[in-house]
Amino acid sequence: MDNKPDKLQVGERVFDWLLLLFSGAVFYHAYQITGFSSINSAGAFPIGLSLILIASSITILAGHRRKQKPDTQGALDELKAFLHQHFPLNVLVFSALAVAYLIAIEPASFFLSTFVFLVLAMLFLRRGKAIGSLLTAAGAIAVIYVLFTVVFRVYLP
Amino acid sequence: MLKPTLSSLAIAITSLSVAGSALADYPTRNIQGTIQWGAGGATDNVIRSLTPHVEEELGTTIVLTNRAGGTGVIGMNHVMNQRPDGYNLLFGAENPQLYPLMGLADFTYDDMHTVNIIGQGLVVIATHPDSPFEDFGELLEYAKENPGELRMGGTGAGGLPSTVLAMINAVDELDIRDVTFGGDGPGVTALLGEHIDFMPLSLSAVAEQIRGGRLKGLAVLSDQELEDLPGVPPITEALPDIDAFLPWGPFWGVFVHQDTPDDVKAVLEDAYYNAVASDEFQQFLDDFGGAPLNLSGDEAQEYLDNWQSVTAWSMYDAEAETIEVSPEELGIPRP
Amino acid sequence: MSDTFSYLLMAWLDPQLLALTALGTLAGIYVGAIPGLSVTMAVSILISFTFSWDINNALALMVGIYVGGVYGGSRTAILLNIPGSPAALTTAFDGYPLAQRGEAGRAIGLSTVMSVIGGFVGVAILAATAPMLSDLALRFAPRDYFLIAVLGLLLVSTLSGKSLARGIFAVALGGVIGLVGMDPVTAQGRFTMGSMNLLGGIHYVVVMIGLFGVAEAFYQLHHLNTIPVKQKVDKIVPSFNMVTKYLPLSLRTSVIGVIVGALPGTGGDIASLFAYDHAKRTVKNPSRPFGEGAYEGLVAPETANNAAVGGAYVPMLTLGMPGDAVTAVIIGALVIHGLNPGPMLMVETPHIFWFTVGNLALANIFLLVFGLTGIKLFSKIVELPKAVLIPLILVLCVVGTYSINSNMTEVYWMLGFGILGYFLKVFGFQMGPIILGVILGPLLDETYRQAMSSVGDNLGEFLLALVANPLSLVLTSVITLVLLGNTPAKRLLMERLSRR
Repeated sequence: MDNKPDKLQVGERVFDWLLLLFSGAVFYHAYQITGFSSINSAGAFPIGLSLILIASSITILAGHRRKQKPDTQGALDELKAFLHQHFPLNVLVFSALAVAYLIAIEPASFFLSTFVFLVLAMLFLRRGKAIGSLLTAAGAIAVIYVLFTVVFRVYLP
Repeated sequence: MLKPTLSSLAIAITSLSVAGSALADYPTRNIQGTIQWGAGGATDNVIRSLTPHVEEELGTTIVLTNRAGGTGVIGMNHVMNQRPDGYNLLFGAENPQLYPLMGLADFTYDDMHTVNIIGQGLVVIATHPDSPFEDFGELLEYAKENPGELRMGGTGAGGLPSTVLAMINAVDELDIRDVTFGGDGPGVTALLGEHIDFMPLSLSAVAEQIRGGRLKGLAVLSDQELEDLPGVPPITEALPDIDAFLPWGPFWGVFVHQDTPDDVKAVLEDAYYNAVASDEFQQFLDDFGGAPLNLSGDEAQEYLDNWQSVTAWSMYDAEAETIEVSPEELGIPRP
Repeated sequence: MSDTFSYLLMAWLDPQLLALTALGTLAGIYVGAIPGLSVTMAVSILISFTFSWDINNALALMVGIYVGGVYGGSRTAILLNIPGSPAALTTAFDGYPLAQRGEAGRAIGLSTVMSVIGGFVGVAILAATAPMLSDLALRFAPRDYFLIAVLGLLLVSTLSGKSLARGIFAVALGGVIGLVGMDPVTAQGRFTMGSMNLLGGIHYVVVMIGLFGVAEAFYQLHHLNTIPVKQKVDKIVPSFNMVTKYLPLSLRTSVIGVIVGALPGTGGDIASLFAYDHAKRTVKNPSRPFGEGAYEGLVAPETANNAAVGGAYVPMLTLGMPGDAVTAVIIGALVIHGLNPGPMLMVETPHIFWFTVGNLALANIFLLVFGLTGIKLFSKIVELPKAVLIPLILVLCVVGTYSINSNMTEVYWMLGFGILGYFLKVFGFQMGPIILGVILGPLLDETYRQAMSSVGDNLGEFLLALVANPLSLVLTSVITLVLLGNTPAKRLLMERLSRR
């Protein structure tokens, strides 16, 4: 992590506000379990946890005041910088491939979808080198088959 | 011996009629078995010692997974949500028969197909050796003078201790502090360390501890003394009225999705019948402190219905806190 | 006495038992190294597999897998920052930075030797004090387990890096994740939002694989073109000086490991967390700062989790009570083989006890052999180009997650935790405290309620019990001392004093 301690990162304020919002939601759900009925109930500990979440996220937000704001002008600019920093092409394409892979596992069988995913992901990330990618993917599949299916008898779809 | 012959006949017929289809050669791959309770518990031990015999019968491997939690709802729900192809079996104890009554879930074993009711266990009410109580009557008397003081080990709503407590409360009065543990194992450990005062447990979980003198049996849930456990009085000595609910005990069974093809059901029933009947398993069950049942089909259904009605009504009459609806509303007839 | 010796050496002298122990240890290393394959799972499979075998053969294989598996988790933790098992979580904190410095080989070598030392201490304590230790373990009441969990929570200050508030948030978040599912007491759903799928809870290995493996993969995607660090593969076996230098620490953390392992309900995962914390508190001048590749940060958890194996056998062999999930399954194996695990096991069948002791020692020797071979090949994994490694890591995470419960929903959860983990990491949160919360949250909830029920829901009596019993008093005092010494309270006190 190369973040400097005295400077807020792009998107940090929004993220930390989201955490507070999340903590509030956790409190709501914790309260739904048994309410404040007893100190020894299914909901007692969850409510305690949610209060800790709320308190610590407020502390985190309070800590922002001591830090410098990021060098962006306005919300739109910050959003752009955030997207640029965390969602470069590599990440976007890889994530899309990963999600497609997960969706394909059950209908298209584990080994086929894994092979296709590995080949496509490696082809993309290495910008070519088809033969190497095919061989590596085939090797990986073979190892997984032997270890999981043959030796440990794990059921794969 | 009519049953297995009939089922093998059924297999022969069905395999003829669906010749060529993949189902005819069930099983073609490993079977996933889900155990409703944790590793090392009574259900787990019974199933793990039965499984090798079944594997031999079926010629495949059964991969066993423990999915404990939520009084077994989690494991059962998992199996009910799998494909009904016979490759997912549920190994469970008695608890699902009470789910609707306790508002835990809206399903029971009636929503699955019963492959086999393997056997039934016996219940012992145990305490630590330093306990001032020599039998259950003394404990009951003390509890009446000091209500809400004794600590009973439990395993959660709908677990065996809570059911036994309900039965006792249906005919008498026992007001205690319920300390919940993750299963028999942690409960026995707490009892050994004297952190709780007593706990109703399945005989298999404590027989060794009682014989070894690390625990003391206060009563067996039966109307006569057990051969295997001399010196532990039957509960009817202290509570004659509880006789109405006896014989009662936890049971273990094998279940499969209701929509499983009939020929697959038949293969499974046949395999389990033979496996449970095998001498080695019968010997194990005997050592383990369980009584064999080996029921399937209508007999199994009758057993399940009877168990449900006895237990549900005793809990209802005891006004157990965990009961959410009357058995009447659920269509459970009075025994 | 001569009987004892012959039982002890049984596994050493019989070629078949020797081979089975070796095979088990080797297989265990790989089971442990692959996230999702657990020792509990492997031993359960073996029960049916070894059903018709002689009991000693079956036990030899199981002991080997157990010892190898506990160690194996460190491999992937060091090489890929994915702990192969929860007990290797803390190994990743300093092991992975070491691999990034090109010292993967040396880290694995050191962790092997230290695991073996821990293993031997565990066996020695098991052999010498089993009955005593098991009596001690039984004294731990629910309230004491509660105090242990609280003590574990204080580790958050050790694990949370620069921002304590973020660490506390992360622990509580982990706790919430750990509580998802059905309440074990009343069977109500908690945080399930009405979903049947969530009633079973979220398996902590799913969380761990997502937060560590996938989050790391996403993070590495940003640095695709950095050339992998060339691994030094010369000094793999740690020098004698190095071993003696860390020996005092490793002996202390071994004892922590044995005790935590012997308590039914806590195992290698919690033992290694305590050991790491102990190292961080007591070692004043580590070889490098903790978290950046300190050898001490590797030594402590590795000795503790292997020592916990010996500990876990204590209640199992003396009382028939499992010390952890693996020994619970081994108890099942004994039952199936017609033995009666219980307090009489040591009286009626003492050979099982001594055979296990001898076998554990043997497995540790094989661990040394197999652990130190093949390291060169293993550490080359880190030298793979990122573009090849990252897709492979994702596939490994998917297989690992799927094999836990054969549940696709959990695989999506795993990916979700990966994305969450990436952003938490970007904004200065550490992963360690989250896993700490996932492990300790349910334990805290369960033990708190057991302790409360035991005193009839009386808060005053509950608090009194925490100081009125010797064992609880010790734990409470330790917690108080740690709290005073490691929280802002101390700093505030110091500041106030210096201002005057």
